[in-house]
Amino acid sequence: MSQRFGARAVLGGSAVLLVAAFAVGAVSGAYAISLSQLWNVLTSLGQGASGQSPEHLVFLNIRLPRLVLGVAAGAGLGMAGTLMQGLFRNPLADPGLIGISSGAALAAGITIVLGASFWPMLPRTLGSWTLVLMAFGGGFAVTLLIYGLSRSEGGTRMALMLLAGIAINALAGAGLGLLSVMATDEQLRSLQFWLLGSLGGARWSAVILVGVAVLLSCWAAASLASPLNAIALGEAQAALLGVDVERTKRRAVVITAVAVGAVTATTGIIGFIGLIAPHWVRMVAGPDHRIVLPASALLGAALVLAADTVARTVMAPAELPLGVLTAFIGVPMFLLMLRHFRGRV
Amino acid sequence: MTAAGHGALACASVEVRIGAKRLLANASVELAPGRVTAILGPNGAGKSTLLSVLAGQREPTQGRATLDGRPLSGHGMPVLALRWALMPQESAVAFDFTAQDIVALGRYPHRRAPTRDEDAIMAEAMALTDVTALAPRILNTLSGGEKARVHLARALAQLWHPRPDGASRWLLLDEPTAALDLAHQHSAMRLLRAWAARGVGVVAVLHDLNLARRYADEVVVLGAPGGLRQGATADVLQPALIEAVWRMPCQPVTGADGVTQYLFG
Amino acid sequence: MTEQRDSSFLSSSVPRRRDALRLLSAAALGAGAWPAFAQDSKRLPRLVTVSGAITEVVYALGAEGQLVGTDTTSLFPAAARATPKVGYMRQLSAEGLLSLKPDAIIATNESGPTVVLDQIRTAGVKVEIIEADHSWGEVQRKVQAVGRAAAKEVQARELQARLDAEWAQVLLRIGGAKGRKPKVLFVLSHSASPQVSGEKTAAHAVIGFAGGVNALSGFHGYRPMTAEAMASAAPDIILTSTQSIEAHGGVERFWQRPELALTPAYKKRALITQDALLLLGFGPRLPAAIGELHDKFRAALA
Repeated sequence: MSQRFGARAVLGGSAVLLVAAFAVGAVSGAYAISLSQLWNVLTSLGQGASGQSPEHLVFLNIRLPRLVLGVAAGAGLGMAGTLMQGLFRNPLADPGLIGISSGAALAAGITIVLGASFWPMLPRTLGSWTLVLMAFGGGFAVTLLIYGLSRSEGGTRMALMLLAGIAINALAGAGLGLLSVMATDEQLRSLQFWLLGSLGGARWSAVILVGVAVLLSCWAAASLASPLNAIALGEAQAALLGVDVERTKRRAVVITAVAVGAVTATTGIIGFIGLIAPHWVRMVAGPDHRIVLPASALLGAALVLAADTVARTVMAPAELPLGVLTAFIGVPMFLLMLRHFRGRV
Repeated sequence: MTAAGHGALACASVEVRIGAKRLLANASVELAPGRVTAILGPNGAGKSTLLSVLAGQREPTQGRATLDGRPLSGHGMPVLALRWALMPQESAVAFDFTAQDIVALGRYPHRRAPTRDEDAIMAEAMALTDVTALAPRILNTLSGGEKARVHLARALAQLWHPRPDGASRWLLLDEPTAALDLAHQHSAMRLLRAWAARGVGVVAVLHDLNLARRYADEVVVLGAPGGLRQGATADVLQPALIEAVWRMPCQPVTGADGVTQYLFG
Repeated sequence: MTEQRDSSFLSSSVPRRRDALRLLSAAALGAGAWPAFAQDSKRLPRLVTVSGAITEVVYALGAEGQLVGTDTTSLFPAAARATPKVGYMRQLSAEGLLSLKPDAIIATNESGPTVVLDQIRTAGVKVEIIEADHSWGEVQRKVQAVGRAAAKEVQARELQARLDAEWAQVLLRIGGAKGRKPKVLFVLSHSASPQVSGEKTAAHAVIGFAGGVNALSGFHGYRPMTAEAMASAAPDIILTSTQSIEAHGGVERFWQRPELALTPAYKKRALITQDALLLLGFGPRLPAAIGELHDKFRAALA
């Protein structure tokens, strides 16, 4: 590794990237809004709701919640990716390892395919929140299951967590396969779109909830940065430095489950952000988690915004699913990382 | 066994068992600060196990370790981290932390009450183990010996200042010289003696009997017939015992500086 | 109540009264009445249609000049393929739809996501949802809805009358036909695993209208095709879409499916294919499609 940039440069740079991505996202979209119109919208915000042009409405009720959701999603995924990599002591780790994505996907699949037949009451009581709540519950439940399976006397063993994660992920995948066979064409399409991830259809109510969940998670994660540095020496060594390793693991798992669960429940599965963002930050800033954690959140947010801007403009008036784009960027990045880390993993 | 006194690190009738395998049986030692104690024994005798019990890393299946007469669990790990440091036998470090980063982690237990000279501590610790030039290098790219010296610097940094309440400090080292070249082996042992002279209790698992004979005040020999033996180096390390434990014919030789060393073979 | 100035959205000069709530609080509550965009009485409304059959109705009414966007299932007539596509009907994009500046969107109840439709609605665009219940009423509702949305109610009534007459005629002809009703089984195979349709599907209704009997009963919706189910259903005729045959790589490959080998239809190679949209879309071509289907049934039984 050659040069390392200091904390201020990296954090400042990531923040600048995020602001830039937000700005580009704000002026881009299928619905043409000129800069002057945007300026009018922003200035009229302070004056209250008067003179509501269609640009006003499109921006404030369709585009802006989507941008904010993108920030929350990217930040949550980037932060959680860093936590997982620190916990597993491996730069190739990803929140998906502990089952959140597959649990959410399975719950979403069950809701979409079986929901109408088995629990018709559910959509009536929960309405359009049914899918979101089921997905969040599913992700959380599977994560707890995997965490529980990894506990042995003497604490949680990361190797067990990894294996349990692989097994449960495979099981969820099989469940999804079964559901796809049982699904009608329409349900299959709905499920497919959910799995591919999208920021579309973002409502302020959902966005605010996810935003709060991610904000709280990031705030809680801040205190894990130093312990994760110590854990890089090995769990035994970290314990001897006075780190409560069990508590750190538990917190990291819960924080990841909440943040990624909230995001995935609302947006479907957006892959690779949790893998790429921490990696890029480490390449320029080194592995100190006190820098990598906040910078990955900022960079992750910028990446999601950038990808979403492309997703909703390249095929306008239709949209590409976001997960497709992050995979197209993510898979080559992953392969490059494998080559780079060949000797060290 | 005398009663565990103030500042002493001890363990009583400790047994460590994993499944059916007994790693350590009926071990009782009492160690005082201000001395260099070497733990010796053939492979598989349980040297590292004993050290890890003393360090609170491993819970014995029977018996317990105490510090200042109180069980280790009574102190709590964060408090203990202020009083002792362990240099591990090998330590794979995740990610590309530099040597400087690793030494800085030695100050982690002190993060709530940093002294004014944190940077100076790290610089001096690295100078003591001759790794100053390696500071910006990534640890995982260093040789075995260089890594060992970085970890030693980290342990020293962790214990740099005496405790304000005068509590005893301990340096626990698991085969600190194993990867070092000859010159560094001896300079490291001299460094440990210097620290012991300042009141730190140094406990090192060593495999090199001659190093122990030259630098240790006291030895604990595992795998001896009749159980563990603890005592002053010259008293315990007699050729008869050495031959019984290590099964090597041994001939003591006194060098020009008056220190006895052993010839084997 | 305050009078709202209309926006530049529709270049209108006719203001309309509407309640105004504070924008952000309304947004935070996820609800709220927005000022509607006034309709220019001189200009014809711009339409977006989501569903192939509804697009066909627009063309049938001669309102294609007002069509500014369609979904990916709108493939007939050929001109419809050239209109801007707003995406798949279950995955619409709010901004994309609004960027076409429509006055009305006509879609079936299968379109979504519902959040996007809500957003469109609150932006002042009229959203007409038609319940797809696989009856003639569905077609009628589509015609009426398009007529309303396109401000072509008169033409819609004419079209309706004409279609009703066609429908009555075709039903009469089918009703008068003698002979036993063939057992027909519909196979859908646009994706990997073929599915067969039970009750409460468009195919079930179509088979019934055309004078056949659905070989499968006792379940709703689609199920995967299995050899045993096929054998016990024992259909005389296999009905499928041309798209399914293409997905299989031709009629011969289709017949090679093991599940079909035990059916009476296999022995006579009694296969009827029709374009999926024509057959199942429930659009203005339905009477003609049913008539054609009925004739093919008789030919297959002969």
